[in-house]
Amino acid sequence: MSIRILSLAANAALLLAVASLGPTVAFGQASRAVSAPAPRTPDGKPDLSGLWQRPYVPDMTKTNKDQSQIGTPELPFTEAGLKAWKSYDPTNGDYTGSCLPFGLMRSMNSPDPIQIMQSPKYVALLYEQNTWFHVIPIDTQHHKGATPTWFGDSVGHWDGDTLVVDTVNFNGRTRLDTIGHPHSDAMHVIERFTRTDPTHIAYEVTIDDPKTFTKQWTNKRTFTLRTDWEIMEYSCEENNKDLYEGHIKAPPLP
Amino acid sequence: MRVRQAVLAAGIGLVASALPAIAHHSFSAEFDAAKSISLQGVVTKLDWMNPHIWVYLDTKDESGAVGHWQCEGGPPNVLTRQGWSKDSLKVGDQVTIDGFRAKDGTNTCNARSVKLPSGKSVFAGSAEDGGPSKRAPAQ
Repeated sequence: MSIRILSLAANAALLLAVASLGPTVAFGQASRAVSAPAPRTPDGKPDLSGLWQRPYVPDMTKTNKDQSQIGTPELPFTEAGLKAWKSYDPTNGDYTGSCLPFGLMRSMNSPDPIQIMQSPKYVALLYEQNTWFHVIPIDTQHHKGATPTWFGDSVGHWDGDTLVVDTVNFNGRTRLDTIGHPHSDAMHVIERFTRTDPTHIAYEVTIDDPKTFTKQWTNKRTFTLRTDWEIMEYSCEENNKDLYEGHIKAPPLP
Repeated sequence: MRVRQAVLAAGIGLVASALPAIAHHSFSAEFDAAKSISLQGVVTKLDWMNPHIWVYLDTKDESGAVGHWQCEGGPPNVLTRQGWSKDSLKVGDQVTIDGFRAKDGTNTCNARSVKLPSGKSVFAGSAEDGGPSKRAPAQ
């Protein structure tokens, strides 16, 4: 049986699994929009600050039943991209199991909340997942000649009331999501954050990677403000028995 | 107390084995969704640490031989927000754990449900990690 067929079967099973989870945990407060204007910072920009609950996106081709995540069902793979997808076997080493950085997209797809902190010059995303952070300078240029990184090089600007984050210069060692959709070091990610009301952010990400995909594709989701939560410490290395005892493999070095 | 292991039908197994699963790492990087397992035993230790909690238990087979098992649960942060704590399960508690075995054949499992003799589930919600449900995904 080909991996592609496996993947299709897995997708169907995952839909069932996700549907069976019910709304109580992941999207408990996601559906109540508040009909009030989104708050603004003293400089007049929409205020994205807060601790945000996000839908877990283990597979970016999926769409959640409650529409809190809308995926692209068929990814437009290039020949090389399809080969990278079909040949992926996490048994040979899922880098996240070694507590290596998830990278930008897999961090955005993780189930743990993020804290957003904002000033006129910077927006910082504090990921609870493994206690990582990513800083986005506003109205600047990408660094030239910088060493490629796990999270890439981001710059942000305001397009009306939407924060647009443009990220390039990835090291190519990450996957887009838990199921393992591939990308290359040529990936260019465009994220759009819009605080649609006091308790929600509409998030849209566009994946632009000419080595892996023949055209751009998008994924949309809704973040929900959780004023009743605080961000928690998450040390992935603390007790990573899976790796320490050899139940999983570390990925090969590039 | 006994150890019961069931190998699911090939079709179900193939579907489940390709499931993405755990926020920390892919389920199929470590566990075999075609090898469900049900363990009944006594809790000997609980690790309440990242990236996953671990429940250790001793089982006995029909001949009285003791087996030492370790089963991975959800991330403590998620469980904490659901109201669970390191005191929700105590050493000496009798439990039934349904889950899936590690591919490497060690006495290691991914717990999809942990139940006390009363039938009360402990650490419910581990399925939020996207892995297979308690036994097998619905067809």
